[in-house]
Amino acid sequence: MPESTSTLRFWLINTLGWALFCVVSLAMTGAFGGGSSSGSTLISVGLGVLLYAISGSVRALALRRHWWRLDLGALVLRLALAVLLGAALAQLLLTAVLQPALALGWVDFAGRSGDFRPVARLLYWLNTVLMLGLWTALWAGLHGVRSARQAELARLRAEAERSALERDALRARLNPHFMFNALNNLRALILEDPERARQMVTDLSRTLRHALEHARSEEAVLADELAVVQDYLAVEAVHYEQRLQVHFEVSGEAAQARLPVMALQLLVENAIKHGIAVCPGGGEVRISAQCSDGLLRLQVDNPLGVAAAGHAAATAGHGVGLAYLRSQLGRGGRFHLQPADGRMQAVLEIPQCART
Amino acid sequence: MRTNLSVLIVDDARLARQELRTLLAALPWVQCVGEADDVPAAREAIARLKPDLVLLDVQMPSGTGFDVLDGLEQAPAVVFVTAYDAYAVRAFQTNALDYLVKPVEAPRLHEALERVRQRDVPAAPPVTAGGSLSAQDQVFVRDGERCWFVAVGEIRRLVVDGNYTRLWFRDQNALLTRSLSALEARLPVELFFRANRNTLVNLRRIRAVSPSVGDGYDLALDDGSEVEVSRRQARELRERMAL
Repeated sequence: MPESTSTLRFWLINTLGWALFCVVSLAMTGAFGGGSSSGSTLISVGLGVLLYAISGSVRALALRRHWWRLDLGALVLRLALAVLLGAALAQLLLTAVLQPALALGWVDFAGRSGDFRPVARLLYWLNTVLMLGLWTALWAGLHGVRSARQAELARLRAEAERSALERDALRARLNPHFMFNALNNLRALILEDPERARQMVTDLSRTLRHALEHARSEEAVLADELAVVQDYLAVEAVHYEQRLQVHFEVSGEAAQARLPVMALQLLVENAIKHGIAVCPGGGEVRISAQCSDGLLRLQVDNPLGVAAAGHAAATAGHGVGLAYLRSQLGRGGRFHLQPADGRMQAVLEIPQCART
Repeated sequence: MRTNLSVLIVDDARLARQELRTLLAALPWVQCVGEADDVPAAREAIARLKPDLVLLDVQMPSGTGFDVLDGLEQAPAVVFVTAYDAYAVRAFQTNALDYLVKPVEAPRLHEALERVRQRDVPAAPPVTAGGSLSAQDQVFVRDGERCWFVAVGEIRRLVVDGNYTRLWFRDQNALLTRSLSALEARLPVELFFRANRNTLVNLRRIRAVSPSVGDGYDLALDDGSEVEVSRRQARELRERMAL
């Protein structure tokens, strides 16, 4: 609930509550307090107005100072102290108005004089403490219940958000288009070349295992990621056959560099999806990695498809995968995509110095 | 109902085509007449082989399955076969269309083929002059992202819209990038009538005719729309509608 609605509601209830207090108190003095007088009316109404203002101030103070973030003991102590002091303040202010008014003869107690002995004052104060205390306890209880419920809601919402993110990440890693095409090809391959089909099952399971085993924001060594990409490419080679050519160029130093897990595979998947898949004759995917001055520079490039060639749309449509990749890069990492010589180059730069 | 069904397989992956061939081989009443691996080859094969049915992949190197159908003189029956983009096919604005997901299950394929075989077709394709269509023929209509298979008889009216033509059918309409006269030349003469300079109307969709100013008529069509018949055309309408 927005803070303004909550505040508005509080003041509405607060007004009604203390107005009711005034009415009841006037009726009580009328019935049992020896008849009403201008003095008792001033006490009832004055106290109502003062407590109205003080209870509002206590709430404002509690909210501004974030008393609800304290533990229960500290909260109760502060509220109790506020009630005691608030009641004393109310009595002081009331007396400050009542006594001059009596002295000047503006109000009277219908012939009787007011009782201003210390014991009587203590009773008045206790009476006010009781009223303000009850009111504060009621309000604080409701507020506590509501903020607990809101905290629970916020927690659930955050949890739902996190699982949605994880699901997106999983989908980026387990490309369903790839999976179902692979399974379909496998069915045909079982009849055509059983030995190769068996090999394909192995490649596919390794690709799957890798995608499932790694949690978000993990890091991996490039050499390991290359091995996974080899499996992945072996599966894709069954689909694209001679249309898919791959060329690797990885320096020894780069092979030991670290990078976000699945990053290389995402780039290779994109190269196939936006390059090989949309070129009638296929083409070559080039994967190269160098390490210099503590910076890993990984480049994956692919031929531009017939539909993509010549217009800017070539860079569009790299949906979930690249967004996921960017979110994994962290500080210092850079990623960019640029067309060059009729090919699309994806370049990933990851600083290594902090990691060695 | 057809006794035999000739099928063309269109998919860019050789193994995917092989898989469909294997599945089709189990059905004696189905004959696989050819294969194509990309959009141009598929269009050429459809024109040459005139298959009863095309098993069509959605994504191919130089375009989509929709590109294959776009602009065909006469659309064959189509069943889309897709790895995962079923949503793209579902977006297709027709119930006359089926799709299969890979790996294709034999019973589902059988069901889809049976449905095409059961569909009402003219005994022999009518050979009319000028290659014009008959009421039962279906055409592929595409307007931006949306596409439909529309039987010629379902077309209610065609109206000039700038340099193009807006086609009204079922509860839909689509803008075609062709002139009204070009479309008129392809539509069956016995079905469509030029009510005025801008409108071609399906005679079987007229519900009521009422006289209008200056010897013209107002036609009320079965969807509640109204079409004005010019004085010049009113005479011809009387002749064509007369017993």
